[in-house]
Amino acid sequence: MDVDADPDRDRSTAFADAQPGPRAQLAAIVEVLSVLARSSSQQGKVFDAVVNNARRLCGADVAQIHLLTDEGLRIVHSVGLNEAYMEFAQAHPIPVDRNGLTGRVVMDRKTHQITDVLADPDYRNREYQRRGGFRTIMGAPMLIADEVVGVLSVWRTEVEPFAPRIASVLATFANQAALAVRNVQQTTALERRSSELAAKVEQLEALSEVSKVLGSSLDVEEVLSTIVSHAVELSMTDGGSLMEYDAATRLFRVRAAYGTSDEVLEQLRRARIHADETWVGRCAYVTSSFQIEDLQTVDRDAHLTILHADGWRSLVAVPMRSHDHVVGAFVVRRRQPGRFTEDVCDLLSAFASQSAIALTNARLYEELARQSVELTVASQHKSEFLASMSHELRTPLNAVIGFSEVLLERMFGELNERQEDYLRDIRDAGRHLLALLNDVLDLSKVEAGQMELDLTTFDAAAAFQYALSLVRERAAQHRVDLTLDLSEELRVIRADELRFRQVLLNLLSNAVKFTADGGSVAVSAWLDAEDLLVTVTDSGVGIPYADQDRIFDTFQQGGRFVVRSEGTGLGLTVTKRIVQLHGGRIWVTSAPGVGSSFGFTIPGQSIGDAAEEAPLAAADQALGDPRPAVVVIEDDERSSELVAVHLTAAGLRPVVMRDGRAGLAAVRSVRPVAVILDIKLPGMTGWEVLNAIKGDPDIAGTPVVVVSVLPERGKGFALGAADYLVKPVGREELIHSIRRVVAAATSRAEGRTIVVVDDDPMALELVRVTLEPQGWSVEVCEKGADAIGLVTSSRPSVVLVDLLMPDTDGFAVIDALAARPETADIPVVVLTAKSLQAQDRERLDGRIAFVASKSALDLDVLAQRLVRVSRPAETGAP
Amino acid sequence: MTTGRILVVEDNDKNLKLTRDVLEFAGYTVEVAITGEEAVAQALASVPDLILMDLQLPGMDGHEALARLRADPDTQRVPVVALTASAMPMDRERALSAGFDGFLEKPISVREFPDQVRRHLRKRR
Repeated sequence: MDVDADPDRDRSTAFADAQPGPRAQLAAIVEVLSVLARSSSQQGKVFDAVVNNARRLCGADVAQIHLLTDEGLRIVHSVGLNEAYMEFAQAHPIPVDRNGLTGRVVMDRKTHQITDVLADPDYRNREYQRRGGFRTIMGAPMLIADEVVGVLSVWRTEVEPFAPRIASVLATFANQAALAVRNVQQTTALERRSSELAAKVEQLEALSEVSKVLGSSLDVEEVLSTIVSHAVELSMTDGGSLMEYDAATRLFRVRAAYGTSDEVLEQLRRARIHADETWVGRCAYVTSSFQIEDLQTVDRDAHLTILHADGWRSLVAVPMRSHDHVVGAFVVRRRQPGRFTEDVCDLLSAFASQSAIALTNARLYEELARQSVELTVASQHKSEFLASMSHELRTPLNAVIGFSEVLLERMFGELNERQEDYLRDIRDAGRHLLALLNDVLDLSKVEAGQMELDLTTFDAAAAFQYALSLVRERAAQHRVDLTLDLSEELRVIRADELRFRQVLLNLLSNAVKFTADGGSVAVSAWLDAEDLLVTVTDSGVGIPYADQDRIFDTFQQGGRFVVRSEGTGLGLTVTKRIVQLHGGRIWVTSAPGVGSSFGFTIPGQSIGDAAEEAPLAAADQALGDPRPAVVVIEDDERSSELVAVHLTAAGLRPVVMRDGRAGLAAVRSVRPVAVILDIKLPGMTGWEVLNAIKGDPDIAGTPVVVVSVLPERGKGFALGAADYLVKPVGREELIHSIRRVVAAATSRAEGRTIVVVDDDPMALELVRVTLEPQGWSVEVCEKGADAIGLVTSSRPSVVLVDLLMPDTDGFAVIDALAARPETADIPVVVLTAKSLQAQDRERLDGRIAFVASKSALDLDVLAQRLVRVSRPAETGAP
Repeated sequence: MTTGRILVVEDNDKNLKLTRDVLEFAGYTVEVAITGEEAVAQALASVPDLILMDLQLPGMDGHEALARLRADPDTQRVPVVALTASAMPMDRERALSAGFDGFLEKPISVREFPDQVRRHLRKRR
């Protein structure tokens, strides 16, 4: 420490020799240091050590530490001071000026000594001197980062200058004291920071808890109460209330309160809190909180008056904003006057922005819930209206159409030509109205997304012939030539049969309607890969080019309707929707005056074995309906319909047959998981059917559930029925029985084996992991050449073969298996990524059970289809 | 020649007339009732071979009338076929699961109607 002797003040630069040696000095410093180290925060102890050691080592009467404050230097620690001085100095901090020693130390930031204060003409702190009685005085600055924070001074009551070495000792102690001060400052800062942090953590925890509650709840009331109660808790106030803001009326409405009596809450709710007329209303304009320190001293609006009357004194209002919109505000209040700290206000603001989001969400949800109820009600009204309209229109239409038909049937005598003509007009007009009604119902069903397709596989020719038959009479009347061209391969169609007929009929009747007498209407249908393509081409009036784009739109009839406007304007719209529901598309090409051609596609027509099998068998296998089939042999329409409904509901696919012979054929071709058999059947009886099933090794394993009015269980079981139910049969009973017999039959059929031939190891693995859990024993083979031997030796219940393989391909494998008597009876299923050409199909024809496409492969469906085609497990003799 | 006594329950006079005319022309004996209550009373008084029942009737509706008929041993085996202008799929479903033996929609086809009725007559319960 540089102790600079001021040349102007030579009297203060004289130093006496110090008594203590360096060892004592060091020891004292170490002591102070150790205190420092031990108790950095215990400033008092450090100061204590400093003043005691400084006094001792400097040989002074008094040592004291002053800290620099705004008012001046204050004694914070001392040793050897009399009380009178202490009291005086406490009341009068020493000013920082040149009148005294400590002021000079602070100003010059260096150690000073005044050898005799009484001899110093510049020394003016006489009052201090009088009370302290000091003569020689020395002080050293306490510096922290070059800033004076205080002064360590020592004095002697005799004039006896301190030696220069003592000055450096004092400076050292001043440093120690400064260090202590710094430590304390740091510690305090640290403590403050950590307590701030702790508070922040606490707040964050509270906020997160609140936001959790807010985020999870969409009940507005709950959200509001949570917001207000947490705001009060977070700000440690006594109560609060929350208002929602209605931008339309510019009013804040109190929705929830906390720490507030019901009575006051009621008053608050009734209060008119306008954005422009109240103190709280400012929340509509400001973005941060504002407060009233004392309610007693301000002008009170209606809202504040209520609060004041209830004894509240201070409050903070916090706007709640979400996406720049004011959604509400909350107020927290205390019963005591006083300012809310910035911390509390900040916290409330942070909380408000979170709460605003929650409030907005809750409101949106409330709105949504309300709208959805309204929509449901509206949609219900619409459905009820449509049902009722339909009923009300059908009732008179029944009479209109019915009586004209009665007369046209000549029930009451002959008609003359004109009468018959007019009656036809009446009947046709009635039918037209009926068609319009049906179209309206269909369209509203489609628009509401309520039209569901009932996909089945049905005979193609029958469907086309049916539609043609309905327009044949009219075509004949107008000498319109009707032709149908169905491609050979198109045997069955996979679609909603009724809807398909509706589409076909709509296009056909339009075509006939708009074709002049003597014209022609041609229907063509063929398969393109897995798409069914149908065109209906007429030589009619055609459609103007401008109208062709919107011909399928609602009530767009196009120019051609001008001639004979009979369409509902909805038919084509409904038709288009039905085609689209099937995943297909519809289009028109037309030349005015030449004719029109409407075309549509229905995708999802599978190839495979459709060509050779009866429609019913194809119906089952062509498209791999994943639902297990149950053949229902029942002549009573109502019973079978009910059974079908139950089966469908249970995830099964009913195949209903009206008599025993058809039923038996269906069992052979469909290979159902079970048969439901009525006994009283026209022609072949149920008993005969049961006998036939059990007598045919191919289908003997199919469990048969007899459902009959006859109480002949014994006979039923004797003939091999798996179960026997007496009518009437409830749904539960029926489904339970089916499930039971199917499970039993499945476990009997266990030991299913399959050989999979594919050069792709991944494909082999896929099939293996799919089939093995279902009880299959899977053998795989990567080479076509090896397949023949493997199949011959293991005689699996089915072979699954890839077509495209190097060397011996699938075709060759299939040929070889078919050629060998020992393998010819094993069903083969083709699994291929190849798109089959006509010649491919020809080559496979009759040799395979079905083709599964790798590109659209559903392994579970494949597994079910395999079960159906696979040879029954060999029992004893082959 | 077709025979059989059919009770037609229908509150709309024109539709009632039509049904009766068509059935009588086909050779049936037709009795009529305008309300569900009447229908039940008549059926109990003289059990018909078949009942054609409108569903929407003043007072006791078709469903309730069916329940009454099924509850009485004298009439529980008489086939009851719904003949209705309620053509929604759920109406059909509801009727069949309630125990109606058939579901015929209005407007009827005069040519096919007698056959449809005949089919249900054959299937006496």
